[in-house]
Amino acid sequence: MSGWRQGWLVARRELRERSRSPALWFGTVLMLGLVVVAIVVPAVLEDDHVTADVGFTGETPAGLREAVIGQGDAVDVTVRVHRYDGMAAGEDAVRADDVDVLVVGGRELVWRGDADEQLRAVVTGAIQVLAVQDRAAAAGIDPDVLAQLSAPVPVGNRELGTTAGRSPDDEAAAYAMSILLLIAVATYGQLVLTGVVQEKSSRVVEVLLARMPARNLLAGKVAGIGLLGLAQFAVTAVAALIATVAVESVDIPAISGDVLVWVVVWFVLGYAMYAVAYGAFGSLASRTEDASSIAAPVTTLLLVGYWASLFAMGDDPEGVGAQVASLVPVTAPFAMPGRIALGAAAWWEQLLAVALAGTAIAGLAVVAGRVYTRAILHTGARTRLRDVWRRAGTTEATETRSNPMDRSSTSATTLIALAAAAAVGGAVALTTSDVVIGVGAGAAVFAVVSRAGSARARHRSLHS
Amino acid sequence: MPMLELDGATKRFGAAHALDGCTFTAAPGRLTGFLGPNGAGKTTAMRAVFGLVELDAGAVRWRGAPVGPAQRVQFGYMPEERGLYPRMPVRDQLVYLGELCGRSRPAVGQTVDRWLERLGLADRADERVDALSHGNQQRVQLIAALVNEPELLVLDEPFSGLDPLAMAMMADLLAEVAAAGATVLFSSHQLDLVEDLCEDVVIVDHGRVVLSGTLDELRASVPERFVDIRHRGAAPAWSALPSVEVVEEEAGAVRLRVGRDADVDAVAAIARRTPEIISFSYEPPTLSELFRRAVIR
Repeated sequence: MSGWRQGWLVARRELRERSRSPALWFGTVLMLGLVVVAIVVPAVLEDDHVTADVGFTGETPAGLREAVIGQGDAVDVTVRVHRYDGMAAGEDAVRADDVDVLVVGGRELVWRGDADEQLRAVVTGAIQVLAVQDRAAAAGIDPDVLAQLSAPVPVGNRELGTTAGRSPDDEAAAYAMSILLLIAVATYGQLVLTGVVQEKSSRVVEVLLARMPARNLLAGKVAGIGLLGLAQFAVTAVAALIATVAVESVDIPAISGDVLVWVVVWFVLGYAMYAVAYGAFGSLASRTEDASSIAAPVTTLLLVGYWASLFAMGDDPEGVGAQVASLVPVTAPFAMPGRIALGAAAWWEQLLAVALAGTAIAGLAVVAGRVYTRAILHTGARTRLRDVWRRAGTTEATETRSNPMDRSSTSATTLIALAAAAAVGGAVALTTSDVVIGVGAGAAVFAVVSRAGSARARHRSLHS
Repeated sequence: MPMLELDGATKRFGAAHALDGCTFTAAPGRLTGFLGPNGAGKTTAMRAVFGLVELDAGAVRWRGAPVGPAQRVQFGYMPEERGLYPRMPVRDQLVYLGELCGRSRPAVGQTVDRWLERLGLADRADERVDALSHGNQQRVQLIAALVNEPELLVLDEPFSGLDPLAMAMMADLLAEVAAAGATVLFSSHQLDLVEDLCEDVVIVDHGRVVLSGTLDELRASVPERFVDIRHRGAAPAWSALPSVEVVEEEAGAVRLRVGRDADVDAVAAIARRTPEIISFSYEPPTLSELFRRAVIR
């Protein structure tokens, strides 16, 4: 019986049993929905902005309507003109947002609140053109010649990002990817954590380890949940690609096939690293309620790694900070895909980062396998990492029984907390247009929700 | 030739010796009872067979060769702490555990179905383990130890927590597995049951084997016999004869200890002094008595 076959059997069981869970399918659909909405909604909102409603009232110079529409066309704004009889009706239309601006007598613009600079330029431009035409006619200049002379010149806009060849849209996409990576690594890492603790608390682990070495069990578990995550993540990435193409924002070079492949590669590396660590820490807990507090060091490292990479990236994706963050294995899964998306990573940096992450995973697997093997059969009070490390073997089992049918709310709480954090953080980041504040808000929400969740779990276990 | 052999197995947990040069064997086709007071090292010894405990010294051998992962997949184990995946369907779970031992899916499926049928669980095969009653979960746990048609079956306290019917079922089943040629080793505190069931016993205390061998030999080797007499009417002075000691006496019943070489006729002669004998037995000590002699507290 080879270790590979046992590992594969363990992985297959994870895939099969977990795919029975409705929560998994719900989570997948939710994630797909969020990603598609996140891509489609901004594009649709942007579309709305390129139509403008302009109201006319009072004595309007002949030809102003055509002039405004013409000026609008030159800058890709479709202008719809509405006519109002009397000032009061016009102002009501402005107040009701029926029109974006009211042109009074061809000489005054009435806005609701601040003027829209682009629309003001369109309308005043049209008024100027008409005035010039009138004066030219009075001066005896051929109107056709004048029309030729004063034909609007199309003027384009370009928003400059921090990296050459990339726009703020690209940067937003890179941030979205790293958030997605964080959520995915944390979600599947937590599944490994709770899976390990459940096997230990239900005592099935002794039956399993009588048949196979602990490393096969841990490796198979990490691989099985990883395959599941990979499938879910790949589906999400493909959906993101399709949504991007569908709303025709393909001019975002950050979201392209090869970048998405790199994102998936980094998901695998980041997941493998954190999941192995979660598995080792999970083996220290005896009860499912203790899982998250025992694994807090891993979760902290994960969040700190994410923030560190975000700060480094926000500063300058080509700077030294970002370079270091994208090479250090703890931060690389979140920093490197973003740098690749922004075209800021050299090919050798990409390869070096993968090599470093691979080395770190291999080293971690050895350490984690050792901790797991020694701690997994130790029941009773929580095992300390120090003890496992120092002693040459497991301590004899003590008789603290936990309910084998105990269901964990740990992973559910973490998922809810992460979803809430991502939602609030994203919303805050969008409204304040400041990613750092958004991440801070998200982190605060995560902390509050997960604390509340574990407090509730403790409360329930005390009263059951 | 012994199939399972522990040779000088030693394991320390901190200052305490869980196993201290524990040496014994278990033979195929027989039931071996593994006895000892709590904390004597029974569980540690069983775990050592499955590599769940790394020995500090000594060895576990199977057919003369050291036991490794390749041998363990031919073993079956029922730990003291019962455990299964609570939310996994019964049959899927058992097939999974069998496949982990390297057996093909169809072969495991057949074994599992046979045992489910045999233990009256065939109609519960697709239910989740946590939907079953405690007794049925115990049965599933037992099948989990049998899915690979093991050559060695090790059970830690298989009779604890069972009702009398389940106990009888378990006893029949263990005898059946042993009769089919497997080596069966189990620990228990129910000495009467072990006495009825086992050919061989191993008694450990403080991590050392204090007594081992076939039950008949062990009993025969003890230099004393017990005479139980039930009678009606007045009792004579039992201890009148030399080398007779009254162990227990109550109205109408007495238990005497005599030397192995005592004259049975002389003993019987005492019994005849009562007005009427209801029963008379001359026997070596029970397993309980052997156990108490071996495990000095």
